[in-house]
Amino acid sequence: MPNQGVTLTTQILTEACQCVESQLGGAKDGRWKTALTYYRPALREASASGDLPRELLGVALHDQLGSYYFLLRAHRLILQADSSMQALMDKLQSYKPRVVLNFEGFQYRLGDFQVRVGKCVPSSEVLRGIMMEVEYLPLSSIEKSRQILEDFFDIWQDTVKKRSLPGHFILVEPNFADYGLQDHYTPQHTAVQYATCMTQLMAAVRN
Amino acid sequence: MECVVQGIIESQNNSHYMRHNNGVRLQHVEALQILLQGLCGVPKERVRVHELCLKSGPNLGVVPSEVRLLCDLAQPTPSWTVRHVGGAMRGAGAEQISVLVRTIVESKVGHNVLRFFYSLGYKLDHELLKEGFVFRFQRGAQITVTVTSANKMPKLYATDEAVPVTPGIQLVEITAPAAAENYSEVVAAVSSFCEYLAPLLHLSKPGVSMGIVPTAAAAAASLMSNSGAKTL
Repeated sequence: MPNQGVTLTTQILTEACQCVESQLGGAKDGRWKTALTYYRPALREASASGDLPRELLGVALHDQLGSYYFLLRAHRLILQADSSMQALMDKLQSYKPRVVLNFEGFQYRLGDFQVRVGKCVPSSEVLRGIMMEVEYLPLSSIEKSRQILEDFFDIWQDTVKKRSLPGHFILVEPNFADYGLQDHYTPQHTAVQYATCMTQLMAAVRN
Repeated sequence: MECVVQGIIESQNNSHYMRHNNGVRLQHVEALQILLQGLCGVPKERVRVHELCLKSGPNLGVVPSEVRLLCDLAQPTPSWTVRHVGGAMRGAGAEQISVLVRTIVESKVGHNVLRFFYSLGYKLDHELLKEGFVFRFQRGAQITVTVTSANKMPKLYATDEAVPVTPGIQLVEITAPAAAENYSEVVAAVSSFCEYLAPLLHLSKPGVSMGIVPTAAAAAASLMSNSGAKTL
């Protein structure tokens, strides 16, 4: 989240990456890219949307290239499908993509952690945000790894403070149970996190 | 894309022929199975699919849309697939070939797919339970031959209470995936395979009904006696 009056630039991303590499000693492990697509229903009569969901979110995750995830936040529903599902929705023409957000950047290995730092860029190419994804590899239980990840985030905040970045990172806290997801972490959890991240970012920008 | 042909086959005794065959029961479907077994060289697999056809609600989409949800009940754990059948290839070239070439998009999906489409504004148009068997093999193309009876449910989703829509008749469907670059080869492979089945059934484009083959009974008898599969 940038400080008030500060324009987001790729310089901030470079600074964040520097933090991971120099201060924390992360080893660069490649690039990553996740795409979020906001769909809206195509209506025959614009005024009568009835109880159709206003928004359908599609997620293509960086490390799940064969899968696609659809989220209906209003219904707390997440559907896992093959990547061909995007083409299928396209054929139906009932929901059309309106906004595409690309999250892309570098990934790093830091001991038991895999860290991804990236920028959030809509199709208009204007930088909207910087995000970071931290994965604790040894555990799949959300409860068991909660403390470790919170500690990591605290260390990250301290590191970033020392660099005087013109902004601060906000921890995303989705409610996985709302979507019927369990304690065992899956790619569906990641998709929910991206959706929640965007909601929180947009709410923060509005405020 | 996929290439498709369909035909129908009788699945019950035809008492007219019983007199000519010393009371031997003729099961055309069984005969077809024996023929397919010989041609394909692979074992048959069981088919039990709950098919739900959903259509878009009144205001959804500039044009109406339709999607099929298929729940595979033959496996220990049911699995779901969603399918969109697109338009058939058109033009003089398409009319000349005896196989339908159409666009198709399919995806495996999670078990909450029905709730997903209902939430999107789709409604259940009809549902069927398809039961039978399938042969999947390679013969010039990746060919799938499915022989099923279509059953309707008296109550919503009641697959255990399904009854045949057309008792005594089963649907035979032959499909093969194709791409724009190779569909003519796939069409040729499917057409050529259909010729082997000609004595037992007419295969044609879906929607073009050719009825039951007059020689079916005789062909079935011959297959059954050759294989030694007789029931009294």
